[in-house]
Amino acid sequence: MTLDRREILRLAGVGCAALAAGVRPADAELAPSPASADSWAVLMDTVACIGCRKCEWACNVENRLSDAPASTFDNLKVVDAPRRPEHDSFTVVNRFRSPADRDHSWTVKLQCMHCADPACASACLVGALAKDQTGPVTYDAWKCIGCRYCMVACPFQIPAYEYNKPVQPQVRKCTFCAPRLAEGRSPACVAICPNEALTFGRRQVVLDAAHTRIQASPGRYFPHVYGESEAGGTSWLYLAPVEFAYTGLPALDDEPIPHHTERIQHAIFKSFVPPLALYGVLGLVMHALRGDNGHQENTSG
Amino acid sequence: MSRSRPWIVSLALLLAALLPASASPQTAADKAMTEDCTECHTCGVPTARQPCLKACPRTTMVHQASKHQLREAPGMMHLDQLADLYLPVEFNHKAHAGMAEMGLDCATCHHFSPPGVIPPCGECHEPNGSAADLSKPNLKGAYHRQCLACHREWSHDTKCIVCHAPSEQAKLATAPPDPTDIVGTVHPAIAVPAKRVFTTPYQAGPVVTFQHQEHVDLFGFQCTDCHREEGCANCHDITEARRPARTQEEVHAICNDCHGADACAKCHDTRERPGFTHNRTGFPLTGYHQQLDCWSCHPKGKRMKRIDSMCRSCHANWSPETFKHHVTGLVLDEVHAGLDCDACHPDHRYNASPVCDTCHDDGRTADKAPPGVHSKTKSSGASSSSGSAGGGTR
Repeated sequence: MTLDRREILRLAGVGCAALAAGVRPADAELAPSPASADSWAVLMDTVACIGCRKCEWACNVENRLSDAPASTFDNLKVVDAPRRPEHDSFTVVNRFRSPADRDHSWTVKLQCMHCADPACASACLVGALAKDQTGPVTYDAWKCIGCRYCMVACPFQIPAYEYNKPVQPQVRKCTFCAPRLAEGRSPACVAICPNEALTFGRRQVVLDAAHTRIQASPGRYFPHVYGESEAGGTSWLYLAPVEFAYTGLPALDDEPIPHHTERIQHAIFKSFVPPLALYGVLGLVMHALRGDNGHQENTSG
Repeated sequence: MSRSRPWIVSLALLLAALLPASASPQTAADKAMTEDCTECHTCGVPTARQPCLKACPRTTMVHQASKHQLREAPGMMHLDQLADLYLPVEFNHKAHAGMAEMGLDCATCHHFSPPGVIPPCGECHEPNGSAADLSKPNLKGAYHRQCLACHREWSHDTKCIVCHAPSEQAKLATAPPDPTDIVGTVHPAIAVPAKRVFTTPYQAGPVVTFQHQEHVDLFGFQCTDCHREEGCANCHDITEARRPARTQEEVHAICNDCHGADACAKCHDTRERPGFTHNRTGFPLTGYHQQLDCWSCHPKGKRMKRIDSMCRSCHANWSPETFKHHVTGLVLDEVHAGLDCDACHPDHRYNASPVCDTCHDDGRTADKAPPGVHSKTKSSGASSSSGSAGGGTR
């Protein structure tokens, strides 16, 4: 069988068309967001937060993170310098000040947001990170290969790596106290919060409570619940006295982060058509070329 | 028939007497209540056991309770329902109630008080709030939000040990010495400013010197007499921008309680005024008089009344038997000690020099021929004998 130039070009054109058709699938075809109104969520009210760091202490105890004595967390000065969650501190409280009035400040607790559609889980090659239907984004250290793609993918810069451990280092982050949730208890930080700056409940109930607070005290809160729609929705939601540019939380659109990549990648590999088409074209080219070579060998031999 | 009638009448009377009696505990409260039960209750027939009350958030503050007096308030309260990490809180309710008198009264904290009742926090705020109902904070959140709303505002101190004793050794708060005022209670001593000088837009006398210390010391004002509708932040963490602006009426209202009838020039002047001294009145205070408060001589009232400077206007009971003359520095000899006061001090004018010519016609005066012995410790004698009588000479 021989292919002339016209036929090869035609086949190549069909392959490219198939590729192009797969590149932009409808949004509905992307993985649906598992954020359900029924999953667990926490509302962090930065107006009510007093920056006492009790949540940091409770987290430390619950997850056996460090041997730091309880008195370590009595030092309230550290909240003035912004910190990030680390491998040995899954949550941190940071203070932010109003640019207009330096005396006016608020404290923001930062931890894994437990996104409805987590970028870390999407980036994970081996499925070590996964979104649980009840809310938490869980981590399986046995699957993890330590590639740290999750750390790059997370828009909140949450996953932290145990660089200090030469043997079996893990990616560490807030677990949403998944074992406690399974027992029907609230996360340790929520349970200890003295001022009820953290409110735990089903996501829809928590959202309703957040909007009720905004309506009840319009001057007290900036009229937006951070996490309701950011990055496709998160399990941790925030209320703030000012716009969220002053809370250390990143400005994100409503598009789930994985959609940016999955739209292309999932499309390309959808039903394995593009690779098949590509390799088909390559195969055809090789076949055509081999035919020419054989013909030449035959004539020479 | 005629025999049974009185029995029926008495029964009717008894019923008539009983019915209002059984209803009377409710009627007083009912009158204050709104007609519509569903405004507060979710069910049609609320009972004491199952009141099925709606959650009443702070925004719809219900406070119809009649004004309670500070003396009715409980004193120390032992809040131990939630104690785990820290010891229970010894809450000085009376001191806080005293402070609240400067604010919104009981409603500062008791934001939901239906007629006749002041329910404890735990009646609505459950110790373990349920995740299904997030309309109100649980008891821990309610307590802390209540306290911290003020405490963090003025002290910026959110340390747990401000209220919670960290160990058994920690001393419990003690009852305040003077529960009627915030000074001298658990509130640390307040530095009272000696005076405040205000610049006002009143052109004829722009400067008003308010002698704060005088009003407290001389006139016996308590803080709450003037400081009403105050929040903690009015004194603490003060910046001019945050201090609420007051209208002319509001500023004058505080002073007008006493000075309402005074002319503007009573307070307004073109320059700062010195404080009050009794010398200005033409009756400088010396000796025992210096130790008295105003109301020992002046009749009590909001306005200081001018009184006669004659000794008799206060010391009407002076007689040769009751008055110890030595406090004046002169110990009378036996002859003169028996005389009536007005033998030497005619018309009881003790300010004037004593006269001798009532009896003596040799032109002697008390200076040249004293009717007794001058004691060397005149001044100290006058002040140390303060318990007995005032000085006739000044």
